[in-house]
Amino acid sequence: MDGALHSALSRVCKVETHPAVLWIYRYDFLTIPKQLSRFVKTPICVVQPRNDEEVIEILEIAERFEVPIVPRGSGTSGYGGCVPLENSIVLDMKLMANFSFQNDSVIADSGAVWQELERAAKRHGRSLRVYPSSATVSTVGGWIAQNGYGIGSLKYGSVMENVEWLEVADFRGIKRVDGERLKYYVGAYGTTGIILRACIKLRDDSPIRSEALECSFEEAINKIEGAYHANFKDKRHLALEKLGEKDTLLVCYEGEGDGSEFGKRFWERRLYPLRALTTERIYSEAIVPHESASEFYERTKELSMGVEVVFSRDQVIFLGLFGRGLRQYLKALKFVKIAEELGGGPYSSGLLFPHKCRIERELREYKEKVDPKNLLNPKKAFFENPFSRILKLGERFLWMV
Amino acid sequence: MDGLISMNCIKCGLCNICPVFRAEKLESLSPRGKIIILNEIKIGRMKLDARIVKDIYKCSVCGICSIVCPANLDLVKFWEETRKELVEKKIAPLSVHRKVRDITYRDFNPYGGEQQKRSDWLEFKVEKSRTLYFAGCTASFKAHSIARSTANALKKLGVEFTVLGPQEYCCGSPFMRTGQRDISKMLFTKNLRVWQREGIEEIITSCPGCYKTIKEDYPKFAEEARIEFSFEVKHVSTVFAELMNREGKLDLAATYHDPCHLGRHMGVYEDPREVIRRAGVKLVEMERNRKFALCCGAGGGLRTQFREIAMAIAEERIREALETGTNVIITSCPFCEYNLSRVGGNRIRVLDLSEIVERIVSP
Repeated sequence: MDGALHSALSRVCKVETHPAVLWIYRYDFLTIPKQLSRFVKTPICVVQPRNDEEVIEILEIAERFEVPIVPRGSGTSGYGGCVPLENSIVLDMKLMANFSFQNDSVIADSGAVWQELERAAKRHGRSLRVYPSSATVSTVGGWIAQNGYGIGSLKYGSVMENVEWLEVADFRGIKRVDGERLKYYVGAYGTTGIILRACIKLRDDSPIRSEALECSFEEAINKIEGAYHANFKDKRHLALEKLGEKDTLLVCYEGEGDGSEFGKRFWERRLYPLRALTTERIYSEAIVPHESASEFYERTKELSMGVEVVFSRDQVIFLGLFGRGLRQYLKALKFVKIAEELGGGPYSSGLLFPHKCRIERELREYKEKVDPKNLLNPKKAFFENPFSRILKLGERFLWMV
Repeated sequence: MDGLISMNCIKCGLCNICPVFRAEKLESLSPRGKIIILNEIKIGRMKLDARIVKDIYKCSVCGICSIVCPANLDLVKFWEETRKELVEKKIAPLSVHRKVRDITYRDFNPYGGEQQKRSDWLEFKVEKSRTLYFAGCTASFKAHSIARSTANALKKLGVEFTVLGPQEYCCGSPFMRTGQRDISKMLFTKNLRVWQREGIEEIITSCPGCYKTIKEDYPKFAEEARIEFSFEVKHVSTVFAELMNREGKLDLAATYHDPCHLGRHMGVYEDPREVIRRAGVKLVEMERNRKFALCCGAGGGLRTQFREIAMAIAEERIREALETGTNVIITSCPFCEYNLSRVGGNRIRVLDLSEIVERIVSP
């Protein structure tokens, strides 16, 4: 690491340069095949700012030394959003984790963990409207940066729809963004600014009544109206989880009521996801409009080893389980391709699908204004990179599977 | 450093729930981070150094990582095996762990207590018996009230037991958890010899660490040495649950803290709760309970070597307990009681299960 850069950063906060520690920051949940790991760069250093001022100073230093910055929350997303593709400074936001409550919202720092927000909200008689299934560990900034869907999305939509405003930092300082301008940050993986904090909408802490219904996917679609959350798992997925043997819909409502025992059990497992995953399997995630969901399900059900579905207000998110190896990876890619054919696409972009970003041109133009040197998480979200090029190439071979 | 074991992790990061990681927030202290490093070492791409070893020991081996791991990795075994290998390669133990080892070689307990005074807590004479109450080092030297209450309660419940006093030696749990198996084996041999000589058949422990070590680790040592090991080993909470028929009416609301070695490691969750209910205590559960319970921070050599981290974790547990609206924690582990009460200070009362039972069974 450049001595002058180290010295400048050290004056701001603790700078981590131990090679083993840096190596860990090459990873998130994304499985990168060995042959492609050469495209990943070990960060120059990891810094953990404690407040806005430190973030601003780090940004100033990065700009002065022209070193890219990769923001990072808990690294639990499978899209490689915080995997460095350039020699970068990793900005680990986990020490910025304060939050405070207003009437109908919580203002939470980027590094706050969703479950801790939920616990605290409950003490105020409130509850998060939406949160990720990885809420036990994932951070506010991380989930917003990928525009996630999760628990509660059926009633309340994606996290974008539940953010009132964001405070973001870039090379010009700190600004508050809301309304239409949120699209430049939510789902942009920190390529246009560092999310410092978010004002997140809350709901009344009404109890959740859960039912688990054995039904086909087609039937499931007709049973979710008015629900708060709905999650379908096909029998193959449930069998891999050792949870059941029949296609099952978990459907949850806000309000009093007994629900069913299995429903309660199913609901209680919501924060312990990925139970069908092993080191031999991967997930491919696709998002499709409600009207295409049945067709997507039918067209992909033979492709995967099992399917989990999360319903949101206007979209349906499919998680298909696949094995490892080239043929399986092609199947996983085909899963996304079929979604595209039906008006959907990949669940998120990160480093895998920047070429499929729907507002690429708008984001590119905005980025040129706020980050002309392309230092904020380069090669992500809407910028092509070696991974996305390989996936694009792979699409030519989907006929094989 | 070739030869270290590795683990095929899916890198989902759900193990970031680890209490040490939550206190320190650096990825090298998450189970995922540690596994990534150890795998790199295994394939020779990275070399072990003092920093890495220190980070590996920043873990209470509480086992929550294993519980949340979707790939069902047996991480408790992995951490213990890794530490064992570090010790075998002479890169560990860490300084304080080494000091405690030296003390135990000298005094047969990690506190440097006088072995002759090991059963000074005992208030009545005990006869020879096939049942041994194995108080353990913490209760014998640091938490006399737990040993005393346990012995009194067992007596009132009609259990005929003996206590071996100066002939009771540390079970070796602190060393098993920190990879120092040689001294654990030495202690196993010493304890076994006395138990055989005294005709012991059943062993009751206060400490979940002793319970796990004697019930799970000793049979493996015995198997390695081709010795028969046929003792019945019980944690005292199970004995209380079996024998306590009297219903109590304690005017007390309390929460229960699951010790990691008793709960996640050995699967004993309900016996202590049953005893608490029978005692008439209004039990208010913390949000994280049973297999998802937050560690107190003391175990796995964490408090010994990294006291500040252990105290930060205990502080979080105490906050969680206070959020239940009670200011009493009942636990069934002398070491949890020791750590929680020291961090909790005047804010909270920490009681051992035996202290509750003693009150109920005393006329």
